[in-house]
Amino acid sequence: MIGRRAAIAALCAAVAALSSVASSAPSPAPDILVSRQLLESQQLQVGDVVSLSSDTSGANPRSFRIAGQYEPTPDPMRLGAVRLEVRMHLPDVVGLTAQSDPLDAESVDAINVVLANDDEARATVRRLMTAVPGTLAERTGNDERRAAPFVVLERFHLAIAIVTVIASSVFLLALMLMLVEERRATVGMLRLIGFRRSRILQHVLAEGVVIAITGALFGVVLSVVLEGGINRFFQWRYDTALVFVHITPGVALRSVTVAVPLGVAAIFASSWSLLRGEGISLTRR
Amino acid sequence: MRALIFAVRSLVRQPGRTALGIIGIAAVGALLFDMLLLSRGLVVSFRDLLDSVGFDVRVTATDSPLPGGIRLTDATGAAAQIARLPGVAEAVPMRTATGEVWQTGRPVIGLMLTGMDPGARRPWTLITGADLGPSLAPPDLVVNQSLMDEVGGALGSEVTLRTGCDSSRAALAPRTFRIVGIAQFPFDDEAQRTAVMTRTALREACGDDKDEADMLMVASSGGAGAAVAAIRAARPDLVPVTNEQIVARMQTQGFTYFRQISAVLSTITLLFGFLLITVLLTVSVNQRLAEIAALRALGFSRGRAAADVLLQGAMLVGAGGILALPLGFALSLWLDQILKAMPGIPASMHFFVFEPRALVLHAALLVTTALLASAYPMWLVARLPIATTLRNEVVG
Amino acid sequence: MEPLIEARSLGKVFPMGGGPVHALRDISVQIAAGEYLTIRGPSGCGKSTLLHILGCVDTPSSGTLRFDGRDVSALPDHARSDLRLRSIGFVFQRFFLLPMLTAAENVDVPQAEAGVSRADRKRRTAELLDYVGLGHRAGHRPSQLSGGEAQRVAIARALANRPRLLLADEPTGELDRANGEHIAELLDRVQADGTTVVVVTHDAALAERAGRRLVMRDGLIEREEHAR
Repeated sequence: MIGRRAAIAALCAAVAALSSVASSAPSPAPDILVSRQLLESQQLQVGDVVSLSSDTSGANPRSFRIAGQYEPTPDPMRLGAVRLEVRMHLPDVVGLTAQSDPLDAESVDAINVVLANDDEARATVRRLMTAVPGTLAERTGNDERRAAPFVVLERFHLAIAIVTVIASSVFLLALMLMLVEERRATVGMLRLIGFRRSRILQHVLAEGVVIAITGALFGVVLSVVLEGGINRFFQWRYDTALVFVHITPGVALRSVTVAVPLGVAAIFASSWSLLRGEGISLTRR
Repeated sequence: MRALIFAVRSLVRQPGRTALGIIGIAAVGALLFDMLLLSRGLVVSFRDLLDSVGFDVRVTATDSPLPGGIRLTDATGAAAQIARLPGVAEAVPMRTATGEVWQTGRPVIGLMLTGMDPGARRPWTLITGADLGPSLAPPDLVVNQSLMDEVGGALGSEVTLRTGCDSSRAALAPRTFRIVGIAQFPFDDEAQRTAVMTRTALREACGDDKDEADMLMVASSGGAGAAVAAIRAARPDLVPVTNEQIVARMQTQGFTYFRQISAVLSTITLLFGFLLITVLLTVSVNQRLAEIAALRALGFSRGRAAADVLLQGAMLVGAGGILALPLGFALSLWLDQILKAMPGIPASMHFFVFEPRALVLHAALLVTTALLASAYPMWLVARLPIATTLRNEVVG
Repeated sequence: MEPLIEARSLGKVFPMGGGPVHALRDISVQIAAGEYLTIRGPSGCGKSTLLHILGCVDTPSSGTLRFDGRDVSALPDHARSDLRLRSIGFVFQRFFLLPMLTAAENVDVPQAEAGVSRADRKRRTAELLDYVGLGHRAGHRPSQLSGGEAQRVAIARALANRPRLLLADEPTGELDRANGEHIAELLDRVQADGTTVVVVTHDAALAERAGRRLVMRDGLIEREEHAR
């Protein structure tokens, strides 16, 4: 796609000057696509003819026919921004924005190039930069700069997850400690009637594994159930098609992989003091 | 024995459990505190940044808050007209462009260029050297440290610069500039390379004769609101916005993600804290039912027994909440460092900014959580049937 | 002379899954101030239920209870709490001392709750611990005391606010013979010093020490015995 940033900005800014002209007769006006948000906010319909101007005063308007609506590509960094956008053919943009300078009709902001062979991207960029001085050529695919915000956000989420896991572990340990405390007398009795520590430990660990797996699976099920609700709420809240929560098998597996050993470790740690004690001391109230 | 000491003793009785409870609350509280700092951090930081520039109103041709859209025409005339308005102390036109430094045998260095007319206020702070002068042979250039390091020259050295101006339709010839000073630009991020020259110099470098500007930077003398009203009346074709309005706009658009994640995580942490306290107190109460029944038999009233539970909850949350502050502060430094790696974030901007209201809100939320979390165990204690409990204990 | 306790036609019904259980049926008893009364009977005969009702920790399903001439059978909870705090002392089979407090602090708790000044509490606590022979164990926690010592601390705690009535539910139930004997002697002394004592017990020897003994069966007073 070839576009003009300034022109698009002007189009967005000129929304206030946008007016709908009812027209039942076939119109020679060129076609445009209008974002769903713009269509809804201005109560337009497909087939309407609208006037657009790149001037804030609405001077020199041109008529266009709305050929259809489109859903703008969701952008997490523009969450909350109302996507009032129009897509039109390049000559129409140029015609709408060109001023007195004869070079205006010859100018574009960028030219998108599709290479026959992706592997040649780097070499092509170098060749272009040398051949046409003053031109900035850059790869679009795997662009680190574009991915950078998401890399940072991922790191941020990871940091939050670490803190959450620490808090959860403490909670889990406290819970397990209370659970084991409840069993104090039972463990004492088992020790008194001759059960070995290792045997009781096996029981405790087996129970811990069952509890941890059940808890982890419940957590995964709960998050899958909540996934739809959270997405629907935020999609409604921000009028976007962006997916906010996506529980993948990998995420679920990672959660279980972290939660189960944590649960087992918590029950083992909390049981340790009981198993170290002598049977008779455990049965005392 | 005072109720407080009594509650302290009850907690100390199970040191492991109490310690875990306090640590759990501290971890949860630290995250909550950070989320409260995050919820307004960017806004506060951004407002401070805007205010630090010295101009409190920005005038543009459209309602687009950022440069790069449609430019103001006859900028000098517009600035002069606005500067004469009541409530306006100064109006300075500003134009932006991109540029490249060309050095023989070295890679091209990309940079952001600003052209600004001379004025009493300047949105940069000179660190060393001289500020922009009227010289055009060659024109003066003030650069940031990052660009200076990249160029590798000394103050007074000349650089060859090719500008990229939107109105320019052809590849422009490089021009020579003299670096006269190094300055700090408030909106620069860590890696950004920035240079500023006079608007006349930029116009010449851009090779056009249009008196255009991306915006007029306006300093009010009697409040931004009055200045905006005066500008609107005098120039209805222009869009003046105050710093507060820009902040408000960024709050509803640019910073939304962080406000949302702050709201979601605050809710989750509070829920988590609520569960932790409720479970701890409920189990504690359940293990002490007979003891509580005995105290009731000895004459402790329902309210006194329930208050003991509430005090225990309050102390758990209080101790955890206080511990959460230094913990949250340390955590916020770490998280801020992570988030500041995001491209385009000015180096002097912070995601986590302390405000007294965050502390008040933190305390209020924790107190509310403690009250709610204590409600169920308090109800258990208040409704405890003394005789039945004592009988069950003996039978058990 | 008006009795300290006057119970008339007390009944207590517990609604249970298999139908209501009549724990007490038409019990009438009067206890004079300074009297020593024991209640005996097989398990489940209703003796602890009667003790709880006499001690105002439970309310009767029917009948009336007067304490020092005042009808207390339908008092609100806070008034019954206040009555227990200031006029009734309880001793439990399992002591129920607060494990995080020392012996002295356990005795201090009811006095603090009753609003006694710190100086008076300190004096009274020392006096009571000496009274039960545990002055030297004031700073010990319940876990550091023997069963007999713990029960003596519990008696000191029950006497903290100079109650007119001391109720004890199986006070020797968890103790060996020697310690049981010590507790029995202590209760004798309490009664001799003017406090009305009512003890529920299975221990025949302890029961024999009282001036009057009630024997219960199936929620009824089967017979009443008097010391010769």
